[in-house]
Amino acid sequence: MTPFDPVALAGSNNPDMTDHVSGIALRSRAFAWWRIAIVLPAVLTGVLIGSILYLFYAGVGIWGIDWPVAWGFAIINYVWWIAIASGGTFISALFFLTRSEWRNSINRIAESMTLFGAACAGIYPILHLGRPWFFYWLFPYPNTMGLWPQFRSPLLWDFFAILTYVTSSVVFWYLGLLPDLATLRDRATTRGKQVAYGVMALGFRGTSGQWRHYRALYGVLAAIMAPLVCSVHSIVGLDFAGAATVGWHSTMYPPFFIFGAFLSGFAMVLLLIMPMRRLLRLERYITGRHLDVLGRLLLTSSLFVGYAYIMDAFNTYYGGEKAEITMYQEKLFGTYAGIYWATILFNVLLPQLLWFRAIRLNQLVVALISIGVIVGMWCERFTIVVVSLHRPHLPSSYGLYHATIWDWLTMMGTVGFFVFGILLIVRFIPVISMFEMREILAPRRP
Amino acid sequence: MPSLSGPRGGQWRGLDRLSRDPAFVARASAEFPQLAAALAAPRDRRSVLKLMAAGLALAGLGGCDDGAPDGVLIPPVLPPADAVSGGSDLFATASVVGGYANGILVRHVNGRPIKVEGNPAHPASLGGTSAIGQAEILGFYDPDRSRGLIRNGEPQAWSVLLTVLAEQREALKRFHGEGFRVLTGATTSPTTARQIAALKEAYPAMQWHRWEPVSRDAVRAGALLAYGQPVELVPKLDAVDLLLAIDSDLFDGAPGHLRFARNFATRRNPTRTGRMNRAYAIEPTPTLTGVAADHRFIAGPRDLARIVPALAAAVAGGDQPADMPAWFAPLVGDLKASHGRSFVHIGPDQPATAHALVHAMNEALGGRGQTYELIEPVEADPVDHAASLRALIADMNAGQVATLVIIDSNPVFTAPGFAEALAHVGTSMTLADGPTETAAKTHWNLPARHAFEDWTDARAYDGTVTLLQPQAQPLYDGISPHYLLALFAGPEEVNSRDAVRQTHGLNDQQWHDALATGLVAGTQAAPSTVALKPVHSPAGAASEEITLLVRPDPHIRDGRYANNAWLQELPRPLTKLTWDNPLLVSPAIAGRLGLANGDRVTVTNGEAGVTLPAWIMPGQAPDCVVALLGFGRTDVGMVGQGVGFDVYPLTAGSGLVSLHKASGHDELACTEHHDPIFADAGDYVHHGTLAAFKNDPNFLGKPTAQPQEYNLKPAGPAAWGMSIDLNACIGCNACVVACMAENNIPVVGKQQVIHEREMHWLRIDRYYEGSAEAPDMLFQPMLCQHCERAPCEIVCPVGATVHDEEGLNVMVYNRCVGTRFCSNNCPYKVRRFNYFAFAAEERRPPIARNPEVTVRARGVMEKCTFCLQRIAAARIDADAANRPVGADEVQTACQAACPTQAFTFGNMAEGGQVVERKKSPLTYAVLDDQDTKPRVTYEARMRNAGPGAGA
Repeated sequence: MTPFDPVALAGSNNPDMTDHVSGIALRSRAFAWWRIAIVLPAVLTGVLIGSILYLFYAGVGIWGIDWPVAWGFAIINYVWWIAIASGGTFISALFFLTRSEWRNSINRIAESMTLFGAACAGIYPILHLGRPWFFYWLFPYPNTMGLWPQFRSPLLWDFFAILTYVTSSVVFWYLGLLPDLATLRDRATTRGKQVAYGVMALGFRGTSGQWRHYRALYGVLAAIMAPLVCSVHSIVGLDFAGAATVGWHSTMYPPFFIFGAFLSGFAMVLLLIMPMRRLLRLERYITGRHLDVLGRLLLTSSLFVGYAYIMDAFNTYYGGEKAEITMYQEKLFGTYAGIYWATILFNVLLPQLLWFRAIRLNQLVVALISIGVIVGMWCERFTIVVVSLHRPHLPSSYGLYHATIWDWLTMMGTVGFFVFGILLIVRFIPVISMFEMREILAPRRP
Repeated sequence: MPSLSGPRGGQWRGLDRLSRDPAFVARASAEFPQLAAALAAPRDRRSVLKLMAAGLALAGLGGCDDGAPDGVLIPPVLPPADAVSGGSDLFATASVVGGYANGILVRHVNGRPIKVEGNPAHPASLGGTSAIGQAEILGFYDPDRSRGLIRNGEPQAWSVLLTVLAEQREALKRFHGEGFRVLTGATTSPTTARQIAALKEAYPAMQWHRWEPVSRDAVRAGALLAYGQPVELVPKLDAVDLLLAIDSDLFDGAPGHLRFARNFATRRNPTRTGRMNRAYAIEPTPTLTGVAADHRFIAGPRDLARIVPALAAAVAGGDQPADMPAWFAPLVGDLKASHGRSFVHIGPDQPATAHALVHAMNEALGGRGQTYELIEPVEADPVDHAASLRALIADMNAGQVATLVIIDSNPVFTAPGFAEALAHVGTSMTLADGPTETAAKTHWNLPARHAFEDWTDARAYDGTVTLLQPQAQPLYDGISPHYLLALFAGPEEVNSRDAVRQTHGLNDQQWHDALATGLVAGTQAAPSTVALKPVHSPAGAASEEITLLVRPDPHIRDGRYANNAWLQELPRPLTKLTWDNPLLVSPAIAGRLGLANGDRVTVTNGEAGVTLPAWIMPGQAPDCVVALLGFGRTDVGMVGQGVGFDVYPLTAGSGLVSLHKASGHDELACTEHHDPIFADAGDYVHHGTLAAFKNDPNFLGKPTAQPQEYNLKPAGPAAWGMSIDLNACIGCNACVVACMAENNIPVVGKQQVIHEREMHWLRIDRYYEGSAEAPDMLFQPMLCQHCERAPCEIVCPVGATVHDEEGLNVMVYNRCVGTRFCSNNCPYKVRRFNYFAFAAEERRPPIARNPEVTVRARGVMEKCTFCLQRIAAARIDADAANRPVGADEVQTACQAACPTQAFTFGNMAEGGQVVERKKSPLTYAVLDDQDTKPRVTYEARMRNAGPGAGA
């Protein structure tokens, strides 16, 4: 395995690839490892449902949020998941526009990651509400109360941004799936699968007319998605920057959040493709080249994020506002200092190992770095949300935050749901975009 | 009065029986449609408790009789069918603490008493109220109050009591009252005194004992030493230029403290008084008086035992001893320089000899007649309470007490040794309006009527006779002490109203005037002319390594308010603790023992020892620890049961005090979580010295005008604004309780306070500045600032918090979805969120709430509204008269409650007081740099530093 591997190893060809990839989805019996692996995520998904039901019954008081830290895990996890999701879109849409060939074999998994990441993210803002059953009041719909939402609120922009993003992610993912679903329909051996995949393929038959429309539409959607991923995360940043709250009121937030999205997105993709290529015997199509490129991207975004951290310090001290400086000192040396330094360690220092080619190709180390980054990004959001809020302007309102068991259960529930979703994709959907791979592979067996 | 003839129909044994009673269910479902369904449904423990609160309140319906003397009382639950909501009415009565009356008015809406207001006509309050006075209304509606009489644990009919009392009268007559004892708390009630005098006449051998655990014995004994007779001191603080307060309770516990605080505060703001007074405090542990003083000197009990005699000697012209602290000489100089305009006050916890010395000092300083008066004692038949109780316990143990009647006292809890002695008493009876440890131990437990349910009287600090009139039909079956005492004297059932009226012998006109104003005019005691006797300095006190001070809790007092959730959850003025009474240790002791807040310590006093958590009290004398009374009650009701630690056992011990670190740690519910010591509290609580002010009134700097990109001035007909004078605020918390009462603010309980979810719309921020050993302490009431450019408004996605055209930042509860973004964006953090259904879970009958204010649901943000309901009422009045709302027409609840008038509120469009105050050069806005343009401004606190005393 070297960084100079082609995007598919020599000797790869379309028929073999299609046989292999569609064979995985069409297996009559799941892999033994799959049946074991699905158990815990399924249980955690149940935990998620249970904790949501209890939340609706008992109220957000079951969480650790308090006064003055009125936002907690719900917002942290929301930002964390939406960043992970954004990274996937970045790979599938932006690198599609740049015609990067290496993207073809991993964009399906990246998009699926987006789908479930966005799903996990999308539930949090609703769970977060004190009265979640009125969430639709954020939507500007004509109503007998004669009321509109308040368009100056960043939360409203956020509502639109998330809604747009989740909708387009689903559409983009599904559209990218159509030709492969058609392939599965054609290759399915049981009536049930033929019908199921056939219905999902929406009548895609691969005529030249269909392909022409398809490519145009896919290109347009990719061109929409690429800026959308930036806008959605900028707006998530504005949720904070739009407030006058200590620690949030900074113009740096939108780009800073996009950097973070790239970082966590690349890390999550790496984390997913490495076991996948081994377990599904996809080493031929996901090669050293992919690991190397993603490693470099991870390192680059880590440097970006590091730059943002430095600017954060600079702005605080250059700005000289007392409450900001107090909060920053608290961030560095206070109750939650460990979390800040974990952020620095995991997001900035650890990825520096990726300067070394040998490390970029060492899957175990890369996996550890990726896990570190994902944890580090969570810590970063914890610092932004909790540490900023616990040191407001007036010392009389200083406070602390302690997460409760329900915070953790809900969070672990979404992690389980995410893995659960990815495992379902692996089981029933081609994990590699076959029709896009066909563009770069030899057309027939040698 | 309950009719005592025939069986009582209103009693019931359990909720289940009650819920099977068709008449009750019918009545209840008419009042609360959900209740009948809830009663029928299976219940878990939690909902049973909730139902009990409601159910027991309703059970009061059964207890109501219709025998009101004039038929003018309206039952609080069922309004008359033709009643139309017509605003509110005020009726005068009083809040009696330690026997002394503070006049109050009770606001009624639709016949229901819902809020306590101050009585401006009353000399002890001048319209202010205390936190306790404000909280009385919750006590009135307390579902845990006693109902039905109980003998040895068995409910009894009232007729049984009548029979027993008839037998008692026979027996007492036979032995001329030998063995008949009455034990009461401190009382100033002329009617009670008259009745007991009548009893004594009938039974010459009976004895009247008094016991008040928050003792003022030293005050009385000191007066005896100085004047040979028990005189009472009436300070006139408005005439005092220089106040020296030695371990004083002048502003937080002394009879008349509301009046004193007001008089003191009127001369604290240099923009409004040309003669700002100056106050020195010498004290072992911080008090409100000490915090309000210009100079606070820390002296432990050992030091005080040296300093007070030295001070007295120096004031009298003697030499100054060599070993006095540096501030001693300048203080003496200042005292002498203010001859005739100075006043020295010493607290009730100091020994009698010190009180006598202070009397001598005051005489020497020539203030008598100017800065204070002496009057005949206000307390009826004053005695030494400790001696009185000791004698009673001795007699009980000796088997000499045949009949003991305990009224308004809880000695089983407050007097160690009393419970054991009670076993030797033939017949014991407790009359109390709630469960008490004593009531549970005596043979008879008689339910007393609440002070809002019956007639009685009491005297104020200056002797003014104050009438207490019922505010509603009794919620529960109960009797008045006057009724009981009369039944001991003779078989006639006495009406307490007639008893009170008979005492004062007022004609109809006088009686009606007295009821309207709450007091009998011209009854203040005349100045006494008694002359000072020579006072001798005592020998120096024994020296101990650690001194234990036992003080009443600021809000629970001796424990009698332990079941009042408002008071339990009220952050104590200095510690900001709720629901607990840790041992207050000085920073020095904490350092020595390695204590952190909440670490358990064992404190022993001779034989007696208590293990409880510790709390580090900045500014406390290094050698002293303070234990707070009133907590750890075992039989008080569901709110106060088992809250905190009982330190009464320590009061019995005598001997060496020792303190050890114990194992364990308690989490304490404190509402402030910051590192307490600041160098820069002045950034939030602006302060300066009078000298600097005189030099340049604008010395604190005017706020720099920020460039305005756009400035939308609200265009409405009124402009509401508030100014808070930090020179007047003494941190007493009356406003906080008033706000809770007015605005239906729920209590959340200890766990939720620990979880930082308390709901107070108005809080009093306390800042320390300087060192932990001797910090300056600063108070700042903090409430919604009603910013003209409110950061909360622009971040709400659904527009649930908006600006109205009169400049109010209004919260639309119905529209709130609970994003809590507004709270994050509020620089002052004055918004409170209903994390749970706090209001619904409260043990408080719905009828106790203010009907003008929405009760907030779970998941909704809330905050100070400037008492919008009061503004709306004034607006309606003004509209009806076709005129604008007057400048000072609306009073917010906090403003009305404040004993020192620290708050000013009004319609700035019409000018008025608030506009005047905002022109003061001391005015500033908190967090001015945030450019929120708050409608609430503060006047910076000024200190009148003494000559040579240092800063």
